[in-house]
Amino acid sequence: MIRKSLSALILAAMAPLASAQSVSMCVFDVIGANGDLYNMIKDYALEMKAHGVDLQLKPYTDEGVAIGDFNAGQCDAVAATDIRVRPYNQFTGSIGAVGALPTYDDLKTLLATLAQPKAAPLMKANGYEVLGILPVGAGYLFVNDRSIDTAGELAGKRIATLDYQEDAIHMVNFVKATVVPSDITNFAGKFNNGSVDTAYAPAFAYEALELYKGIGESGGIVDYPLAQVTVQMVARDDVLADEKAQKAREVAWGMFPQAMKLVAGQEAAIPDQKWVRIPAKDVEGYQEMFRQNRLEMRDGLNGAPSVYHPKMLGLLSKIRCASNPSASECTAANRE
Amino acid sequence: MIAFLTRNVGAGLSARLKTLTLIGLLPLAGCSMEPIYKTTGVVMSGYSWTEATPYVMQMSDPTMACALGEGVDPLLYSFSEVVDAPDDSGSLLMALAANCVEYRAWEAELDYLRADYAGDVVAAKNAREMAKRLNAESAVRRHRSFERAMAAYDFDPAAEPLVCPDFDDEQDELTFLLGLLNGMQAIVNDSNSGARAGIPRNIAPQAERAATCVNNDKWAGLPSAVRALVWLLLPDTQPDSATDPWKVLDKSSDMSIRAGMRASMAIEVVAAETFGRPDILEQTIAEFASADGRMKVWEDYRLVDVVAGTIVQFASDKHWAANYGHRTPQGAFGKLSPENPMSDMETMDLDGLL
Repeated sequence: MIRKSLSALILAAMAPLASAQSVSMCVFDVIGANGDLYNMIKDYALEMKAHGVDLQLKPYTDEGVAIGDFNAGQCDAVAATDIRVRPYNQFTGSIGAVGALPTYDDLKTLLATLAQPKAAPLMKANGYEVLGILPVGAGYLFVNDRSIDTAGELAGKRIATLDYQEDAIHMVNFVKATVVPSDITNFAGKFNNGSVDTAYAPAFAYEALELYKGIGESGGIVDYPLAQVTVQMVARDDVLADEKAQKAREVAWGMFPQAMKLVAGQEAAIPDQKWVRIPAKDVEGYQEMFRQNRLEMRDGLNGAPSVYHPKMLGLLSKIRCASNPSASECTAANRE
Repeated sequence: MIAFLTRNVGAGLSARLKTLTLIGLLPLAGCSMEPIYKTTGVVMSGYSWTEATPYVMQMSDPTMACALGEGVDPLLYSFSEVVDAPDDSGSLLMALAANCVEYRAWEAELDYLRADYAGDVVAAKNAREMAKRLNAESAVRRHRSFERAMAAYDFDPAAEPLVCPDFDDEQDELTFLLGLLNGMQAIVNDSNSGARAGIPRNIAPQAERAATCVNNDKWAGLPSAVRALVWLLLPDTQPDSATDPWKVLDKSSDMSIRAGMRASMAIEVVAAETFGRPDILEQTIAEFASADGRMKVWEDYRLVDVVAGTIVQFASDKHWAANYGHRTPQGAFGKLSPENPMSDMETMDLDGLL
């Protein structure tokens, strides 16, 4: 009798442990566990606990190390920027294709689309599964001279370029600027000490990485989204069951307003006079330039790396044409 | 070692003798000190009213302001032993001190709601008891704030016919008005305490009448909001010609946003909770939240707007705690249920991609 009761007690005590699945996640944030992104992923982890997944987060200030540890099996999942995630899922890794999502409304439509259960098959590739996508804000061009406001002006300028971002390297070469190989931890220093003329980053870098120092009195931030930066959570495919993985994506999508509020705050923190506004007529030209480049980087033409997934480019094109049907690309013969 | 002990004991004895001497001299000094105390009292009262009060009214930190109320009120009011009681500043300080204890009561109430949601009856009972005790304390402080405000302007709220006070300036008017509001809040606190503070309920009709002494347009609809709340509590007090109290509250809320001091919205929220109007509660919280950032705050009285914000936030937190077991999540202030982002979102057809 006593033995039976004891067994029952032990089983009862173990039940809560057995019901929550423990999943370790390497999380990249430039400022580690006290960063905005890390804190957002803590909210994500809390929500996931309600769905029976206990995410054990581990902060990394070096994205490369986070990815390395994930590859080495130190973590079941990783949260990193889309550029780093591209090898695991080229489809979601192409969200940040250059110039492909010019507005946050378009980004919202995209992420809503990808969070649907119907999109689940697209979230799996190469033995990995995407567990959610969070926006970090559009990448903008930071310049130390406001006269650098056209693609032509970029010729000959030195641009801090992430050395693992093949599409950015191609674009920098395309505008005949000079690639200065950098990574997330040192591009800001290079811009601030004048080693480079321009750098690209989301708005949060203006304050967090003190890019205002590099901008100085004569520089600015070109008000045109070069690409949408996202952070994506990726796990090995066998870590979560399909329905839990879908729930995870829905949880992440539910955090879209929270993430965008953060982005809006970071963009609002940039003084109005620091933005360099681009004339509407120029914007059209840039859009077409970016589009031609995307096609090249989809098909690997003209020496471009083949980095963009055609299905993602097609989806992004559909979204752009839904929000702006009169754009010339919507009737172009080589539509993405 | 012995030398050390001797030295320290000696020092201790010497200090004690000095203290005894001082205590012995105090009764003698009392008479000669009184003019200094009086002067100090006059200076303190004058300073707190002309300099400190406007400064505090511009503050945006309600917790620091409440700590100021709790910390400074006994000091300032102790001068009422030697000079006229500084009732005007004293009313505001006591209101701030009441905010402090009310914030603690709110935490206890949220604990109660969360425990209740989780089905933990013992924890819920404990937290509810705590909330009641703290509400009683808050009721007493608010009632004192009300009484001081009435005394500051020699106003008898029970007089028939009503004789409105003469106000010297804007600050006087607002102090009087906030005194009335504290009288109303004292009743609400007392109800939530299980009536253990014994606040006289006739404050409500008195406040309703007294609110007519202050210009409604000038004070962002707050006087009318106070009156409308009383009309809801005591329908007999509503004049025949008066508009529907809910319409008055709604109009006052609009005026409060335009003026940048949303105290009327806090009243509308409290009314919606009290009288079970979830539709108005939801709408008012949403309007309050959406006004953040796009509204120009009335800088001279920023603290009033901020304190009103804490009341509306608490109403939202209560709703979330009762229905979902936690307070309002980040980014959800203005909504009373979790957003289902999938429901009304435009999505793209994926058929071609799959």
